[in-house]
Amino acid sequence: MSNSPAAADTKLSPAFGRFSFSLRDAGTLIGLVVIMAVFATLVPGFLSERNLVNILQQSSINACLALGMTLVIISGGIDLSVGPTAAISAVITATLLLSGTPVPLAILAGLGIGMACGFINGVLVAYVGLQPFIVTLGTLSTYRALALIYTGGNPVLGIPAGFRSLFNGNLFGIPMPVLIVAVVALAAWVLLKKTPIGEYLLAVGGNEEAAYVAGVPIARTKITAYVISGGLAALASLILIGRLGAAEPILGNLWELDAIAAAAIGGASLMGGKGSILGTILGAIILGTMRNGLTLMNVQAFYQLLATGLIILVAMMIDRATRGRE
Amino acid sequence: MTPRLRFEAISKRFPGVNALSDVSFDVAPGEIHGLLGENGAGKSTLLRILSGVFRPTSGSMFVDGENVSFRKPMDARGAGIAMIHQELQQVPHLSVAQNMFLGHPLTTVGGLFVSRREQERRAAQALSMIEPGIDPAAPISSLKVAQRQIVEIARALLDRARIIAMDEPTSSLTPSEFERLAEVITKLSASGVTIIYVSHKMDEVFRICQRASVMRDGKLVGAVDVQTASHQDVITMMVGRELMQEQHVSHATATVKLEARGLSSLTKIRDASFKLHRGEVLGIAGLVGSGRTELLRLLAGADRLTAGAIDIDGKTVNLRNPRDAISAGIGLVPEERKREGIIPVRSVTINMALASLGSFSKAGIIQGGKLRNTAEDLLRRVNLRPFQLDRPIRLFSGGNQQKAIIARWLASKSQILLFDEPTRGIDVGAKAEIYHLIEALAADGHSIVVVSSELPEVIRLSDRVLVMRDGRIAAEIARADLTESAIVAHAIPGANTGRPPAPAA
Repeated sequence: MSNSPAAADTKLSPAFGRFSFSLRDAGTLIGLVVIMAVFATLVPGFLSERNLVNILQQSSINACLALGMTLVIISGGIDLSVGPTAAISAVITATLLLSGTPVPLAILAGLGIGMACGFINGVLVAYVGLQPFIVTLGTLSTYRALALIYTGGNPVLGIPAGFRSLFNGNLFGIPMPVLIVAVVALAAWVLLKKTPIGEYLLAVGGNEEAAYVAGVPIARTKITAYVISGGLAALASLILIGRLGAAEPILGNLWELDAIAAAAIGGASLMGGKGSILGTILGAIILGTMRNGLTLMNVQAFYQLLATGLIILVAMMIDRATRGRE
Repeated sequence: MTPRLRFEAISKRFPGVNALSDVSFDVAPGEIHGLLGENGAGKSTLLRILSGVFRPTSGSMFVDGENVSFRKPMDARGAGIAMIHQELQQVPHLSVAQNMFLGHPLTTVGGLFVSRREQERRAAQALSMIEPGIDPAAPISSLKVAQRQIVEIARALLDRARIIAMDEPTSSLTPSEFERLAEVITKLSASGVTIIYVSHKMDEVFRICQRASVMRDGKLVGAVDVQTASHQDVITMMVGRELMQEQHVSHATATVKLEARGLSSLTKIRDASFKLHRGEVLGIAGLVGSGRTELLRLLAGADRLTAGAIDIDGKTVNLRNPRDAISAGIGLVPEERKREGIIPVRSVTINMALASLGSFSKAGIIQGGKLRNTAEDLLRRVNLRPFQLDRPIRLFSGGNQQKAIIARWLASKSQILLFDEPTRGIDVGAKAEIYHLIEALAADGHSIVVVSSELPEVIRLSDRVLVMRDGRIAAEIARADLTESAIVAHAIPGANTGRPPAPAA
């Protein structure tokens, strides 16, 4: 057999693989464009540069959480504890800053606390063998309680300007939170597409039994996902307290739901084994756009909630319908 | 007379494979009709169409002359068709009666409450016709497999089934349990129920069926009158070529590659000792449940040893998990490909590379070019078809999925390959390819263990065969003495001193 036709075959497809712009991501992007087009006709000035940057800024915290959530979901798990993880990390970082700890050290401590919370989740899932939903439901309450106990329920006020300026500035006209999340997204993309860890995440979520027989380090892979999720929850909380100047122990309430929604809209399958970094980012922007547009239209909060819920359901139905034809 | 069941030009296509093409035959009322064929011949697909799980791509079915078309399993049930699966589909902690009424419980007060007592009474009634000893209130998990099968049959009677299809009903039965089942089937047939009996065991079909249809590669290759046909005729029809008659060539050397010394485990393996040589193909035969798969899993590091040791190249290795086994050069090609073999949505390339991603990476980043070159090289060597390296593995046929798993262990440079039922669910053409691959691997100096339920396969491939029984190695048979009856004689409990079971034809 001549090699050339087969070689041509295999040369074509990786080109698509490298840009990794899947059909599913294209669908999410179309969804975003449609939603934006609708708001553009309804709200004057919706497409102004300032408002678009605003949308990105407003989406950044959820996008940050959703990236970690995507990796956990791909591994076949779920992380319900991201909000309380963020809260613990926020109040500890804020306390450290107030006690005069140097800013870089306080940031490292905050991220470390988040990763430790994730590590506990991961160990309970991977070694103790509990179900991810139950583990993180338990730590959802536990971590929240710890944050409340630690602060006595009071907010930590007066975060120094040196810390806040890190997260409030602009670089080339782009807000720092957006840049930070963009860098994180790029790193997550490389992790998922280019490293053995990424393949292990997809394999463990795609078929854990087969991955085990093929020698994939199951426990290490799962723990990695939860540690990253915890770390990114902490990062999201740092962005938030940088903006607000205060850390509340009740911060991050219901964050997990938005993060799961963004990942699901972006194509992550809650059965595991599937998910897209680009899709998740687009999913987070879709949710941010909805909120921004409806607020500009002065729609009541109740209806905003309704619209968000419907968007999630419609996205999932479209997803189901298109996958059914495969 | 109107046939009870008629298939007319039934075809079924799946992505990448023609599971059935143009299958037509009739079955009379009260007939026990055998459906014969190798694994992957299309028997199960045909049964799934009959029982409403799949819809045919084209063709039609008639029950008692009436054209039927099932959208879901309940439709088939309503038309009087009952299916008894190889893997019994029962809920273990429910009672016998609850299982028999699963999905359509007997209720009182307009459907509000389940009437357990009435269910148990009716279940006992149905059971009394075939096996009165079973208590309808007992949890189904307390019954033996053979009894659970009887429960399924009784359930079919409750549904007033006119057609009962049985898929490999004896794969985990002992000979005496088979006799009991044969009695029950004969009784049912006398009362006018049509039985479709699917098996690849010729003896059984010759023993209880009146006629048989033989399938191969998704096609009906012929109908056999069991009274007049010979075993050899049927084998030739099933296999279609001289696959099993090909010359066996041994590449075994005298070098011991692996030695198992007194292996025991919680998974029922007891005191198993054997040697595996370089270039050797070692067959492992035995009944389902005799511990063959469990022995392979011990060697593959998937289960833990409780006693004994495994030496590779003369050095004892500690296999705590599959990773350890892989670094010791052992790779497992598992029986249940879907469950333990493949990551369905990932590409065939990634599935191949999964066990050796580290060797394709530099500084934690996978080298795409290196991965691709290896994939092209190895997947061409195993003759993957279609040769599309980025295609999700689930879209490939069973045989080609199997080739990718074999390539996985070539990529990780494993020297010892363990095959568990290497051709289960694989069509005949690919089967020959897998055989040739196994031989080529042995010729290359790999050491190979093959577990198989198909005796012709074990005999075709092995240089030497271990027969397992109740978790122990009951016998070792050299190539020169290798016959089906020799294997069977050692495989059946209590039979190695007595006579081998008499062939029925």
